[in-house]
Amino acid sequence: MSFYLLCKVLFSRKVVTGLLLLQLALTLALLLNSVLLMQQTNRQLKQPTGLDLHNTLLVQLKPTTSSLRVYPALEELFTRQLQAVQSIPGVLAAAYTNQSAILQGGNNGNIYDVEHQDRTNVPAVPMYYVSKDFFTVLNTSVLQGELPQNVVSLDDPGRPAVVLTKSLADKLFPDKSAVGQEVNRGRVAAVIDDFYGQRSAQNVMYNGIQVALPYTVDWGYSILVRTAPEQTEAVRQQLDQVIRKVEPNIEIFYIRNLAEQYQRLYRTEYGLAMLLGILSGLMLLVTMVSSYSSTHFHALKRQQEIGVKRALGASKNSILLELLSENWLCTAIGASIGVVLALLLNQALAQVITIPPLNWYLPLTTIVTLLLCVTVATWYPAAIATRVSPATATKAL
Amino acid sequence: MEQFLYYIKVSLVSIKRAPLPYALTIFILSVGLGVFFANATFYYQLNSDPLPAKSNKLFFPMMLITPYDCNDCRPPRVLSYANVQKLANSDIPSAKAAMYSADGYARLSSSQPPTPVVIRITQRDFFAMFDVPLLHGSFWADDGGRFEILLSRAMALKLFGRTDVVGEQMLLDDKHFSVIGVLNHWQMLPRLYDANGRNHLSPTEDIFLPLETGYDLHYLSKTNSQTFDSTDYRKLSTEGRTGALHQLQYWVQLDTETQQQAYRQFMLNLANDEKAAGRHPAPINNQLTAMRDIVSYFGDESGDIQAFALVTLLFLLVCLFNASHLSLNRYLSNQYEFSLRRALGASRAQLQLQMLADVLLMALFTIVGALLTGYVGIKLMNHLLPGNSLFSSWDIPLLLSLLTITLVCSYLVTLYPSLRASFGTLNQQLKE
Amino acid sequence: MIKLTNLTKIFRTELIETHALREVNLQVNEGEFAALTGPSGSGKSTLLNILGTLENFDAGDYQLDGKSVKGLSDAALSRLRNEKIGFIFQSFNLIKDFSIFDNIELPLRYRGLKAAQRKQRIEQALELVGLHARRDYLPGQLSGGQQQRVAIARAIAGTPRILLADEPTGNLDSLMARQVMELLEQINQQGCTILMVTHDPDQARRAGRHIQIIDGQLSDTMLYEPFAAQSA
Repeated sequence: MSFYLLCKVLFSRKVVTGLLLLQLALTLALLLNSVLLMQQTNRQLKQPTGLDLHNTLLVQLKPTTSSLRVYPALEELFTRQLQAVQSIPGVLAAAYTNQSAILQGGNNGNIYDVEHQDRTNVPAVPMYYVSKDFFTVLNTSVLQGELPQNVVSLDDPGRPAVVLTKSLADKLFPDKSAVGQEVNRGRVAAVIDDFYGQRSAQNVMYNGIQVALPYTVDWGYSILVRTAPEQTEAVRQQLDQVIRKVEPNIEIFYIRNLAEQYQRLYRTEYGLAMLLGILSGLMLLVTMVSSYSSTHFHALKRQQEIGVKRALGASKNSILLELLSENWLCTAIGASIGVVLALLLNQALAQVITIPPLNWYLPLTTIVTLLLCVTVATWYPAAIATRVSPATATKAL
Repeated sequence: MEQFLYYIKVSLVSIKRAPLPYALTIFILSVGLGVFFANATFYYQLNSDPLPAKSNKLFFPMMLITPYDCNDCRPPRVLSYANVQKLANSDIPSAKAAMYSADGYARLSSSQPPTPVVIRITQRDFFAMFDVPLLHGSFWADDGGRFEILLSRAMALKLFGRTDVVGEQMLLDDKHFSVIGVLNHWQMLPRLYDANGRNHLSPTEDIFLPLETGYDLHYLSKTNSQTFDSTDYRKLSTEGRTGALHQLQYWVQLDTETQQQAYRQFMLNLANDEKAAGRHPAPINNQLTAMRDIVSYFGDESGDIQAFALVTLLFLLVCLFNASHLSLNRYLSNQYEFSLRRALGASRAQLQLQMLADVLLMALFTIVGALLTGYVGIKLMNHLLPGNSLFSSWDIPLLLSLLTITLVCSYLVTLYPSLRASFGTLNQQLKE
Repeated sequence: MIKLTNLTKIFRTELIETHALREVNLQVNEGEFAALTGPSGSGKSTLLNILGTLENFDAGDYQLDGKSVKGLSDAALSRLRNEKIGFIFQSFNLIKDFSIFDNIELPLRYRGLKAAQRKQRIEQALELVGLHARRDYLPGQLSGGQQQRVAIARAIAGTPRILLADEPTGNLDSLMARQVMELLEQINQQGCTILMVTHDPDQARRAGRHIQIIDGQLSDTMLYEPFAAQSA
């Protein structure tokens, strides 16, 4: 069976083949870009956060009466709430903070080395005002200096010391130790390991923390809880009740572990990738349907031809191979056009969302997948076609 | 009519002859259209114009009159109280209102549990500018501070169990307020007056509070606030009114081109005056953005929906190709019958009528399948992209256009194959 | 009734031209029963297709009932076929999933007759072919001979002036073939012109006129008095 003959068979049915090719090409283009987006989202979701996502719980809450939102009542509320939470079995540490880690955006501001403001200014670095156990809760290791031990009011004279994450310290003070240096928020007391702060920041690992009372809880505040690994769920079950028991005039917005918080942060990307994934599945299904029906139809129309070939000594396998090769050839041509289309679609999508450019190995794997699907879908009708008895088929001639 | 029924009967017979290819065609078309419908719903709703008569008359003025120096900077997306005062110092606009939103807790008496509410803190003209319907009571008489609030219909029902509550007293964050008005059903979608940071996807607010009172009571913006100097944002009523604490949206209504030109000139003069007074070091950058352009100005278009729109359109194309391929096969295997009918004296026009019956039938099946798929698709998208869930409803114009699209698609899918079958050479098929 | 003048039909492919019919001249009068014979590939079917306006021709003229069919629109040709010509095929060409009644109704529908008129004509046609009791059967439930009689009923339900039959008995055994032939003769006696392609010399002899076609040319015609004319 010659390649030339195969092509001839294919192109004798111009419109049908054209439709099939276009469809295959578009399918490949969509499939490729969907996989690309899914890979990207997967990478984003798997990037290191520097946090023990599964064993850290986040409670977001706010006092519902305004009298509880001002000091000193607020400080007293913090103390009572933390004491109660810490007494839950399985809680290793608990801390309050004006905002949690792993957020889209939040309370942030620029930070710079006071001696070199123009050179070192970093915009939109999260500002955390936390209790001293915050670092224990996040389980970060101290790389340099010592962590502040006492909560300070921001209104006191003398600003509270600042703790920087490593990436930010390296950025602000590239060639010297950050500890003891002055930044616009205060004196640097310690440098700790990186953790994921805010997604909208220049670098998600840039964080500046002060052990201090939050300015305001008008936007709510967080209690972060670190639990023993096997007791996270049990603690989570009790948190709501325990916190409400301390003070009923509280709205608890949500209680999540940081893994869920992280999922939510990438929900749009995840959703889009999922949708594209489902769509890719549907596209493969549609391709399979079309391969199936096209083979089915053409095999039916060519029953006589197949019968004659069988009578002339062609084996069932060679007929099967012939029918399959037709589809393989079609898929291969469609896929080649598809790669070009995929490039175009990739550029078009890059206008509205972030999507990585095409690489070389993805088209190959996708084409193989497509071929596999086409083969599976072609097999059954092709196998049936080979069963044509030479006798009955030729009688009609 | 009798003839039409006959055509339908013939279509049904030919479907029964080869149900699998027909079912597959319908399936593929339904899936393609359904996926397309699901996304088109969001696309249509997200891009719909909530105030078609006014969206090109309402403008958001933004000016780079800030205490920092910055080249190539766009002006801040929120305004300070002081800058709004300066901008409001003009009689050119037919209406103007500054606004922001905050969270709060409402209750009827201190013994009740609190209800979390979203408050729009704004000025009198807000209601006229955005065509807010009033059910009971009245709006504020002027822009002064006062302990008077308006409630959304749903919030009135939730708090009081009825809508006519004008004159009633209630607590908002432990302060006493009297209700002076209740709004009728109102859901501005998208909520373009607060577009910054994709807030236009949120529902409208529950309670409306005068701007001055909001500042007096230290309500902080729940969305975006920025401080460009040492203003302490806890001292909103004092420092917040004078310092560079930006948290306000500001809208002006400029009905005519002349008004718009005049206001642009006013803004330019203001920027020059400010610069002369040494209050802002950055180069002048004034923006007067119409409401219909505000989302794209802020760069907050729904990229996910747009990307998916492109993809679903291509998918629909794939499905159309596939369905026409299937239906071509189906018609070609029926070609003998076409030839026979031609031999018996059917004109091409008569065959085309038969084809129209096929199209109608196919459209009927497809619309059912597509609406089902679309419904499931919307549920799925609401689940996966919950941020857009307010924009997932079907209305009559949308449904009608979906119906039209289905008809056109069914026609396209049937057109070529049937033409080919009816123009095929007449004699060959009959001899076999 | 039928008048062909120098009619020529050429089949063209990329490489060769085949003259299927070369300057054929033929006149068939009203009421004739003519048999058309000839070896395979001689142009019989082409001629029949042209007579049935299923195929067009390259040169010459074809007059049906005194009017040339040349240059008629598709709609006009369809109307002509529907009103004046009846077809009978070797393989019956009944629509399998239509009842006998529905099959016969088909050409009447295209003529736009009212339901009552259609019913009356179908019943008459079924009466004639003797299948009145089977009107609700599907073609598959009938024998080959019965199916061909249905096809004949379909052809004559529209009271055509000419019946074109392409080997109507080719797929039938001799008994059934004889019944079909008798039916055709009966129809001819009622005044309908019949032109029948056949391989069977006996059938050709039974027809009133025998036309032979070889290599696209009418080589021999034998004339008898038409049946209709005889009985008249």
